[in-house]
Formats: sequence, structure tokens, C-alpha cells
Amino acid sequence: MTKELQSFIEGLESLARDCEPRAGQARSLKELEELRIEFLGRKGRLAAIMTDLRALSNEDKPVAGKKANEVKTLLTDRLDARQSELERAEASEELSRFDPTLPGRKPWAGSLHPVTLVMDEICDVFTSLGFEVVSGPEVENDWYNFEALNMPPDHPARDMQDTLYISDKILLRTHTSSLQIRTMIDRKPPVAVVAPGRVYRRDSDLTHTPMFHQIEGFLADKNVSMADLRGTLASFVRQLFGPDVRVRFRPSFFPFTEPSAEVDISCFNCGGKGEKDGATCRVCKGTGWVEILGCGMTDPNVYKAIGYDPEEVQGFAFGLGVERVAMLKYGIGDLRMFFENDVRFLEQF
Amino acid sequence: MLVSLKWLREFTPYEGEVQKLGDRLTMLGLELEEIRDPFAGLADIVVGHVVECGRHPEADKLSVCRVDVGDEVLDIVCGAPNVAQGQKVAVAKVGTTLPGGLKLKKAKLRGKPSHGMILSEREMELSDDHEGILVLPEDSRPGQRFVDVFDLDRQVLDIDITPNRADCLSHLGVAREAALAFNLPLTLPELRLEEGGEPHRPYAKIVIDDPELCPMYSARYLRGAKIGPSPAWLRYRLHAVGVRPISNLVDVTNYILMELGQPLHAFDWDLMRGDQIRVAPASQGMTMTTLDGQERNLLSSDLLIWDGERPVALAGVMGGLDTEINDASTNVLLEGAVFRPGTIRKTARRLALHSESSYRFERGVDQNNTPYATARAAQLMAELSGAQVLPHVSLAEPCPWQERHHVFRRSRLNSLIGIDFAPEFCEQVLTGMGCAVDKAADDQWNVTSPSHRLDLEREADLFEEVTRVHGMDRIPERLPRISKAADARITRDTEYGLNRTLKNWARGAGLREAINYSFVGQADLDLLGLPEQGRVLVANPLSEEQNVLRTALAPGLLNCLRNNVTQGNHRLRLFELARTFVVDPQSDTETREAGRLGMLVYGGRFAEDWPWQQEDADYLDMKGLVEHLLDHFKLGRAEFEAVSGHCFLEPCVRVRLAGEQLGIIGMVRPEIADTYHARKDVWLAELDSDLLSRLLSHREVLFADLPKLPPVRRDVTLQAPRDLSVGAVLNAVQADRPKLLESVALVAVYVPDEQGESRNLSFRMTYRHATKTLKDKEVDKVHTRLVQQLTEKLPVSV
Repeated sequence: MTKELQSFIEGLESLARDCEPRAGQARSLKELEELRIEFLGRKGRLAAIMTDLRALSNEDKPVAGKKANEVKTLLTDRLDARQSELERAEASEELSRFDPTLPGRKPWAGSLHPVTLVMDEICDVFTSLGFEVVSGPEVENDWYNFEALNMPPDHPARDMQDTLYISDKILLRTHTSSLQIRTMIDRKPPVAVVAPGRVYRRDSDLTHTPMFHQIEGFLADKNVSMADLRGTLASFVRQLFGPDVRVRFRPSFFPFTEPSAEVDISCFNCGGKGEKDGATCRVCKGTGWVEILGCGMTDPNVYKAIGYDPEEVQGFAFGLGVERVAMLKYGIGDLRMFFENDVRFLEQF
Repeated sequence: MLVSLKWLREFTPYEGEVQKLGDRLTMLGLELEEIRDPFAGLADIVVGHVVECGRHPEADKLSVCRVDVGDEVLDIVCGAPNVAQGQKVAVAKVGTTLPGGLKLKKAKLRGKPSHGMILSEREMELSDDHEGILVLPEDSRPGQRFVDVFDLDRQVLDIDITPNRADCLSHLGVAREAALAFNLPLTLPELRLEEGGEPHRPYAKIVIDDPELCPMYSARYLRGAKIGPSPAWLRYRLHAVGVRPISNLVDVTNYILMELGQPLHAFDWDLMRGDQIRVAPASQGMTMTTLDGQERNLLSSDLLIWDGERPVALAGVMGGLDTEINDASTNVLLEGAVFRPGTIRKTARRLALHSESSYRFERGVDQNNTPYATARAAQLMAELSGAQVLPHVSLAEPCPWQERHHVFRRSRLNSLIGIDFAPEFCEQVLTGMGCAVDKAADDQWNVTSPSHRLDLEREADLFEEVTRVHGMDRIPERLPRISKAADARITRDTEYGLNRTLKNWARGAGLREAINYSFVGQADLDLLGLPEQGRVLVANPLSEEQNVLRTALAPGLLNCLRNNVTQGNHRLRLFELARTFVVDPQSDTETREAGRLGMLVYGGRFAEDWPWQQEDADYLDMKGLVEHLLDHFKLGRAEFEAVSGHCFLEPCVRVRLAGEQLGIIGMVRPEIADTYHARKDVWLAELDSDLLSRLLSHREVLFADLPKLPPVRRDVTLQAPRDLSVGAVLNAVQADRPKLLESVALVAVYVPDEQGESRNLSFRMTYRHATKTLKDKEVDKVHTRLVQQLTEKLPVSV
């Protein structure tokens, strides 16, 4: 080995020795980059050594070249390895500064009114039982709202509902029962329908608003019995309030059904016990029962009014107040909240 | 209806608990509201014996008493004129709270100590009598509780009677139900009427003009009555069922009304002129003064009782002032009659004169029981006032009670209720309620219903009776098999279903659903300058704020805005899906109802500040919602065109879709927004939801193959005058649309100088060929030509 070659190789080896600890000491990617330039840059120390290559003899050149390449690879690998280490450290430091608790960039949240939610839920139950959903006018004439429903003029039952009138014969519907008439009059049995909608009464106090929502439902077919009515409503109530709820039928009076019944459900707040946590239950006032809807077997006079033969057609009807169900379901105490539309109310649903 | 258990027991020997009775009645359809003790407020009042009573040295009108209340003797200063030594009196001791809420404390009256109060009936809220203190029976014991001195009606059931059950508006009626429920006998009080004497004037002749309006009218006569207060048992019994005692004769009519359900009226016979009683309608426009002192304007639909000369009572509603029983009355004409319910109802409603009497006549009274009720009243009046009942009844009964016969088929009953009822049970129920049952055939009975059950009109009514006595709660549960018509509509395509789809979109788009009343005030519509024509007015509104049906959703949404701003909610994105109403003579309801989707955007553009920028919503937010809606449902592109002169929006933009007007978007004029407390711009949109529903139910979604070849894009920036709309440029592009142009989109708007006249609009054109890859040269050629056409047609430069 020539002296020149030996000195060349030693130069390379000292370069490698020098680089090794300094690569390890580099504390940042920037320091490391400076190191890379110092050793491997165009004007760096390796390049400086390489200028001596030209002075070597032709026999030495391949050996020296091979050695230079080895050292270059060594340096590069060493610096790359250190770079990976530093990058990993940096990434992990960045990760430690990542704050997952910052508020997200969320789009506006919308909501449906609790009345809509309850109405949809109820309609879903009945459509799953085979009922169809219908709608009709909110301004009604007397015949559809009263007369055809077995409430002739001057009938005391009209007192049960204080009516808002537009004129003598035109009024704001007092119940969705008018949809019974509108639906049956242009169809033939079987008819199985629910009719949700706004209804109006001339009544305004803590527990009444002049507008509220009802869902009317009815089935007109052959041989439909009150047992069917009971089964239908029991199934409905269980789907709405849970499988353990009990149903109670109590005789009542509606002009358009005979027999008529009021339906109570066992209070879901106290489980029908009438008291909770040692105090009288606030939902059922200690009775263990909560009134939820009215129903009955469709009165023969209603069938007569729309041209069905009451000897042939048999069926039932029921109606319930949506706000009342919503109040029970969500624990809303004040009926008037429903129509103030305070967003702090609306956003809870 | 307030029912005293003690009173009810005079008809039927129910010995059980009051709560049990109430529960059973509830399950029979007479819903128990509550059980109350009408004398609960008097529980702490005791009997006192006035052992000494002397004049107060300092005050003429006061007496100083020593009162023995059993365990002590109290000094009490009393202001009543009738207090005297030896009396038994009602005493409230120190610490007792009177029904009026007053809590007694030790007091000194003109220097004399007073350790309690001797009470009048008024202070105990038993009557209006405040003439003096209440003097109790001699045999009352000092210290005894006041409520134990008399045999009071302490258990009173408040029962909700449905309009069909007129027969239960009396103790007799409720007792009948109790007897039926517990299988007990029912007995009417025995009549012990002693008649005699001679009349001092001729008996009246009864004339009924229209038997339809008055099927029967009877009068009894009493002579020599002495008017005065009723005895305690009667006063307190009336008090227990919520009736104010007045005087013996009037109290008797009220007693019979509560007991038997028959309203009666007592006239001062001597004040009646002529010897005739006529039942006839009023003549239109005449007036009469009722016993409450009110002059009433009458219509020909009002039924009157006339004496020989003038009207003396509004039939069944209220007596006249002229012939009212007064303290000087001695001779009495007692009316027992039945009137047509509809007539009474009409008059009572029109005059807002709802009395216990009209309430019963409106629902119907038992005509067959009227003679008994009238006789029992006469008997009681004679007992209480010393009067003699004359041996005559003036009677006209042009329409006697017609027995009602019904067919009763058990097979129908069983099919309707879903239970196999035993014939024995059916018979027991029907006879139990007073029906006569003739079992003509096994499945065809002839049933005659009793006169007190006016509600039993048809077979169906009998079915109800059997069912309720059986117990509706014992009906089994069964699920019906619902056979649907083949052409039944799918929920999704119904009005309800389509509305639900729209609402769900709105929720997804970040809008909150509001529900407002359908009525507003005329002033609300006027404020917005909405047309007066076509408004549907409420004839009997609850208030001025609710006297017209809304012709637009805006007033309701703006009210929501006001409510929310008042509550400090300053970012709103609301929607309402509801109907608006205008007059339509063609409709069978005289009204056209149109579905609308209203949206309101107010305040911050984003729900929260961080990490968004703080900006207020503007036109593009509202327009974006409309575009999002149309995109969401694939309803195509709408046209947006500014319109001027809208009544409450400025700017106002008309939205057209598929050649039809979809609605408007706009900003509420600031002066109007101010009245709703808005502090920021209020953006509204009101869309025709009927049109949306129609388009929605008819839309067809067809898949288009995805392009297989790459697009080529070219951008162009046009310098355009500020007043040239983006829409105009896009329209011009569409007008000259080259075949290769797939789409064009606005990518940037730059206004180099706010004061300047122009702005730069950058568009990105996407070119694509369906079957071959485009070469740059081809695209350049098309693009250059398109841009050139734009610069020629529009005042724009590249």
C-alpha cells in the first residue's frame, strides 16, 4: 500500500470516527443538518478528502474509491439513523402538545319540536300495526266537526269543547275526529287510519292552550270489537311507554263512540304505586294511574251520517293529545313552553 | 257534582268506605275527582258557654264575656249585638285559623283582653249571615268540637258527570248507580204531604203555546208561609254540596234540585197578576228584569213564563225580579215543569246565565218524577215555613213521557265487545237500572228504558250499559287483523310523510323546529304590510292577538325571534312547517290552506365562536339553506331574482323552481325588525311546501354512468362591472354552451377597489368528452371561443 493511499484511508477513517459521536450528540434536526453539510456537503469534509483522490495512482484509485464509498454510506446511515431518532422524538413531542379537548368544528345542530317527535313516534307505532296516516283541513265546517260526529246543534256535548268560529258554519276544528268523516266518506271499509294534526279550542289557562295537537285513529271493518280496541291500544301504550305499563279502561262519554272509554296507564313514574321516595307521586297525584286517551266503538250514527250500514260495519276510534303525551314522556311541566319556542327548550329534544 | 255520602245513604244503604264508593263509581263512568270535607276548615272551632256577659266600659257596642270552652274559661270581647249570657256559641281560640285565613292572636280591645273570638256564620263561611253570632243548640257541651254538634255531611264526593248522564246530576241519580254497583235496594223518601185549606184567589190556569218547548208544566200552591232562615241541618247540608243558603223556601227548591235533580221555581203568588200562567216565547227585542237585577234583552228564541200580564221568568234559566220570593211573601206558587233542553241551552248560553237549574234542563229532567219532586218540595216548604199546602195542582201536560222501546240482541253485543255475555247478567243489569225486559226471542229482547234515562235511545246505548257494569277493564286484549285496501297509500307519499321528510331535512341542516299558533293578531299582519284582503278572521277570538289566521309564517317566526332575543338567545336558525290560510269561497270550508316552510336565520353564522370566525349570517346563509334543500332532494336548480317593493323584506329575492314560484328569501326591513327587538339582520325564507311535496313525490332519481375519461379544466377571470350579476354570466355561458363544456363554477370574487366600478370574477370551466381524451389544443380552441363570446355579449373583459 502506498503511503498516499494509506493517508487517504486514514483520512476517511478519522472522518468516520469523528462523525460517530457527533451524530449522537446532535440535539435537533437543524444541528443534524449542519452536521450533514459539514461531512457530506458539496464543500464538506468528505468532499475535501475526495479531492486527494485525483493524486493517487491508478492502482490505488479503485481501492480508495471503494473505501470512500463505504465511509460515505456509513456516514449517511449514521446521520439517517439519528435523523429518524430525532424525528420520532419531535413527533412524540408534538403529540404531547396535541389537545383533544379543544371544541370541535361542529356544524349547526338542528332539532325537531317535541310535539313532532312524539307525533312521529305514535304514527310509527300505528303504521307498523297497519294503519295509514291521513291529513285534512284545520278550518272545518260544522258538519264534519260536529254534526256527522253525532253532535247536532244545541247538543250539550258541544259544551265539552269550546269552539273558535270563523262564521256560523265554519270553525277551527276542535278535534282531529273530523278526519274520520273526511276519510270514510270517500272510501269503503276496511279503513284503518291515524290522523295527526293541530286542533283548536277557545280555552287558555295554565293547562290549556288555544291550539294543541291530537292524533285520531280509527278502524272500520267487519266484526271489530272492543277487545280489538283494547289490544290495539295496549300494544300502542307498551311500545310508547315500555313493556311493563298496565292499561285501564274506564267508561266515559264521547258523542261519536258508544260504548266510550277513557284509557289510563299505570303511572310510569311511580310504577303505579302512587308514591315515590316516600312522597305522593307528582305525575299521577297518588292515584297510580295517568289518563292518556279517549276511545270507544264508533257510534252507529256516525256510520249512518257517512252512508255506511251500521249493521254491516263495526269499528273503533280513539284520540289522544300529543302535548299531554310529550309532557308525560319528557317531564315537561308547563304546557305553554311548547309554543314559546325558546331555543333553550327546543335544543333539549 | 258534589255528592254527600250521608245524603246518598238516605236513598240506598251503602255502608262501605267513601273511597271504595268513589272508585267503583269511577269504573262505572262517574269519575271521582276528589273526596272532600266541606267543614275541614272548622275542625278547631269549639263550643263555648257564655257564663258572663257585660257591657264594655269604654265602648257601647262591645261586650266583655267570660266563655267556658270546657278546659278553660276565656275572656272574649265580642262586637255582636245578639251575644248574651247563657248562650252556647262557636268559639275560635287563640291559634285557630279561620276558613278565611285569619289566624287568631291574643288581643286587647279598648283596654280589655280578648283570648278568642265568638263566631258568626259568615266568619265560618257557612252563610252570608253576619247579623250576629251563631247561637248553638242548648244541649251543646262546652269544649265539644263545633263539627260534632251537628250531624254534618263531612264526606263529599266531587264527581265529574259526563253530558249524557243527566240522571246523575242528583243524589238520587248517583244513589241509583251505587245501588246498581253494589246490588243494594233503592228507596225514595216517603211523601207525607198534608193538603188542606182554601185558596184566597183562583188557581192559575196553565196555557202552553208550544208543547214542543214545554211538554209539561205544573203549579202547586202554599198559603201562610213565614219567610226566614232555614234550620241548621238544611243550611249546612246545602253548604256541604256547594249551594249558598238564602231563605227557607228558596233553600227547599235548591235542596230538591240537588236531591232529585228537578229544578223548581217559587213565585210570590200575590205578586202574580191575573189567574193564568202561560208558557210562550218572548217577542223579539222585548226586555225583562231577572231576579239578579239585570235587565235582559230577549229574542223570540227565548222561552218565558208569563202571568196574566207580563213575563215572570226566563223559563228554566232564572226567575223574574217582579215576582221573586221576598221577606214579606206569604203565598207561594211553586212551579214544577220540564222544558225543551235545546231551548234552555240556547238562552243560557246567549245570556251567559248558567245556573244549576239551566244546567239540568239543558240535559233533560225526568218528567215522570216531576210531580213527586214538586210535592216533596211543597211538603218541606210547609214543614219549614208553617205554610199550608193547598189541595190543588194546576197541570198541563200536552206531551206525556213516551216510553222508549229498544231491541236488544245479545249476539250483536257479544260481537261488538268481544265477550260472550251471559243472558242472566244482561237481564240483571238492564232490570237493575230500571228497564223492563221482555225476552221475546233468545236473541231479540224488547227492552223498555225508564224515564230517568233519557240517554238510552238505541240498542247501542244498552250495550254500553251492560259493558260498563260488567267492567270495561275486564275486556280482554286482542289484536285486530287489519286488512288493508290494495290501493292504500304509502306513508312516505302522504302529506304527513312528505312533511316529515322535509322536517328531517331541516333538522339535518341545523334548523330547530318551532311551532306557533295558527292565529295571530290583525296588528301583526298589518305591521308586516300583508294584504288585508282574504284574511280569515276568528269570530270569537280569545284576544286581539289571536283574531286572524295567519296568511304568512313570518309573524309567528318573528314572534319566536322576539321571545328568544328577550331571553338572551342571539343565534337563531329556526324553521316551521305549517299552513297559512286565506279566504276561498270555492272551498267547502271557505278557506284555502297552503303549506309553507318558513325559515329564520339571525345572528352568528356559526353555532359557536371558536374555532369559527365571528360573523353574522347573511343572504348567502339563507340562500345556501334553500340550495341545500333543493340539492338534498335533487329537485334541480332554482332561479333567484331580486324583486323590489316587497312589503316587509328588503332585499327580497324570488325563488323559482321548475317554472313555478317556490317562495321568497329576504331580509326583514330594519324598522320592522326593530319592533321585534332584533339587533342584527333578520333573514327569512318562506317556501311553498305544497309545491316541494309535489315535486318530491314525483321526483325520479336516475343513475348516470360515471365519466371514464379525464376532464380538462380552464380558469378565466373576467373583469366585470359591479352591477353585473354572477347569474348573468352563468346564463350567458349556458346560452352559448359548447358541447364539450361539462360544468362551470364560480371560484373567486375579487374586488380590487371598494370604491371602484368593477370586480373580478373567476370561473372554472370543466371540459370533457364522453368517449375520447381531449387534447389541450382542442380545449384551448373551445375555451377561447367561449371567453370571446362572453366578452362580446357582456360588458366584461379578460
